[in-house]
Amino acid sequence: MREAIKEAARAWWHLLIGAVFAVLCQLMAAVALFTAFLTLTVIGAGVLPESVLLLRLLAGRERSRTAARTGAPVPEAYLPLEGPLPARVRTAVTDPGTHRDLVWAAAHAVYGMALWCVSLVVWACALPVDGVWTGLAGRRPLVLPLIGRLAGLETDWARALLTPAPSAARDAALAARVEQLTATRAGAVAAHGAELRRIERDLHDGAQARLVALSMRIGLARRAYDSDPATARRLLDDAQDQAEEALAELRHVVRGIHPPILTDRGLTGAVRALAASSGLEVEVSVTGLDGHGGHDEGNGRKGSDASNGSDASNGSDASNGGYGTRAPAAVEAAAYFVVAEALTNAAKHSGAARASVALLREPAGLRVLVEDAGRGGAEAGERGGSGLTGMRRRVAALDGTVRLTSPRGGPTVIEVELPCVW
Amino acid sequence: MRVVIAEDNALLREGLVLLLSSSGHEVAGVAATGPEILPLLLEQRPDVAVLDVRLPPGFRDEGLRAALAAREQLPGLPVLVLSQYVEETYAAELLGGGARGVGYLLKDRIGRVDEFLDALERVAAGGTALDPEVVAELLARRRDDPLDSLTPREREVLELMAQGHDNGTIARSMVVTERAVHKHIGNVFAKLGLPPSDSGGHRRVLAVLAYLNA
Repeated sequence: MREAIKEAARAWWHLLIGAVFAVLCQLMAAVALFTAFLTLTVIGAGVLPESVLLLRLLAGRERSRTAARTGAPVPEAYLPLEGPLPARVRTAVTDPGTHRDLVWAAAHAVYGMALWCVSLVVWACALPVDGVWTGLAGRRPLVLPLIGRLAGLETDWARALLTPAPSAARDAALAARVEQLTATRAGAVAAHGAELRRIERDLHDGAQARLVALSMRIGLARRAYDSDPATARRLLDDAQDQAEEALAELRHVVRGIHPPILTDRGLTGAVRALAASSGLEVEVSVTGLDGHGGHDEGNGRKGSDASNGSDASNGSDASNGGYGTRAPAAVEAAAYFVVAEALTNAAKHSGAARASVALLREPAGLRVLVEDAGRGGAEAGERGGSGLTGMRRRVAALDGTVRLTSPRGGPTVIEVELPCVW
Repeated sequence: MRVVIAEDNALLREGLVLLLSSSGHEVAGVAATGPEILPLLLEQRPDVAVLDVRLPPGFRDEGLRAALAAREQLPGLPVLVLSQYVEETYAAELLGGGARGVGYLLKDRIGRVDEFLDALERVAAGGTALDPEVVAELLARRRDDPLDSLTPREREVLELMAQGHDNGTIARSMVVTERAVHKHIGNVFAKLGLPPSDSGGHRRVLAVLAYLNA
């Protein structure tokens, strides 16, 4: 009996708050009418989004109240009220969420109050009836549980009225995704713009300037050709130096844009080349890329590599169409720079003699893992500084993530995920 | 010498033909794509092949693959590989079958006509020509070892040796006597703990490269 009373009391409390909400709903209805009237006279348009927000607040409370009693959340889906006033007014009026909330508020203003009134009557009956029934006949209470049923009705109705249509929930999820994509795309475009400006500046200050100087020297040499052959010769020597420097400059710029070895050998071959020239013992494992299914080793000693003939086999499998599964060029380039940067840092700072690189193809993108067993502490010191920042920027431009763990004493692990479509 | 050239860029191809024929060599054949190379070499059997790395149809490393295939089919065929950029990995692949008659140079080096022709002749004669940039990368990679104990002159000698030059050329380019070069080389080999090597040429290059790689 005591349990039944407690349970009924809890249900009745829910109904009581429901009644309070019913009063609030009536007030809300008055506010809505008033707002509608003001909006018709144009002056009050500014109030409209605010009252819609108030309505959302009330509906939101009802959702959490219902969720608390039933233990299952009630989903919500609203269009964001943003932008200039006309846009906000339009969204507030057209949002299916607003209509749903209004219907619920109108219904709840009636049933919230009604259910509470009924529950009062039930209480009045329950005390004498159940008192006799349980006290004298020793049976389970009959009438008290009805209050729980009433509260159940209220939560059922609230859930039915407040749950958005499935399409609305999907729309809201899509809207959130669009917002996120817009932000990352803006980041990517900005990064791309910065990259183009960097390339333009490099070419302008480097190769272009050298070519101008070169042309100038050739012109001077031509003028001196007959009168002063010795000077002409010196000028031509200078010109050749300039030409070679311009070429070196251009090679450097090209490597920065898209390393040529990526084109030649794909990501796997390019990363093996990095491993071989890193000065460390590097174990490279590749999963699901370039036709290499398994795990194989490219140790850092190219001399031994060449002598055991592994390069020949490597070459042949690449020419048999081993380029089947390649990530987009930008993703490959980013992965390449991540590995290059990580191995450079490992060789320079970590004190490790060995490192491992893993490239994994995943359904949603490419995962790159570089680990060294060095002394760690990469995030603490300045040392990784600009290189790591550059790495993060490059990866972020592709909507990817960088995770760096480098406790003092090591090991240092860099894990990069680059989303892409295969 | 009879030379076969593979280069897809018409401008560079014509330039190479002009350069070679005007310096007394015979251009026995010209290929513009990767698949043409091997049949041409088998047909012409030139004294040396000059191959560009990146060629149609794939614009990847067709020239390099052709060079490796050619050396398998025509053992001892001297091959000079030219490229817009150098990769240590490619150098390792080329030297994998032995350094005899192998060259790997940046295209930039063609501009130094005399040095280029010298490298070409060296390769044709069974020597080695390795681009200074590859050697520099190899040297830059070694840390904490006897390389640091070399004097600047000895280091210079080591670089020139690794590029494949013989004592005479090293002496000329450093403006010292051959005897001085000989002494430097002795010091370098002693400091690096390599067995002394009197001769020039590919065997010495291999020893030096093996050391740099080890």
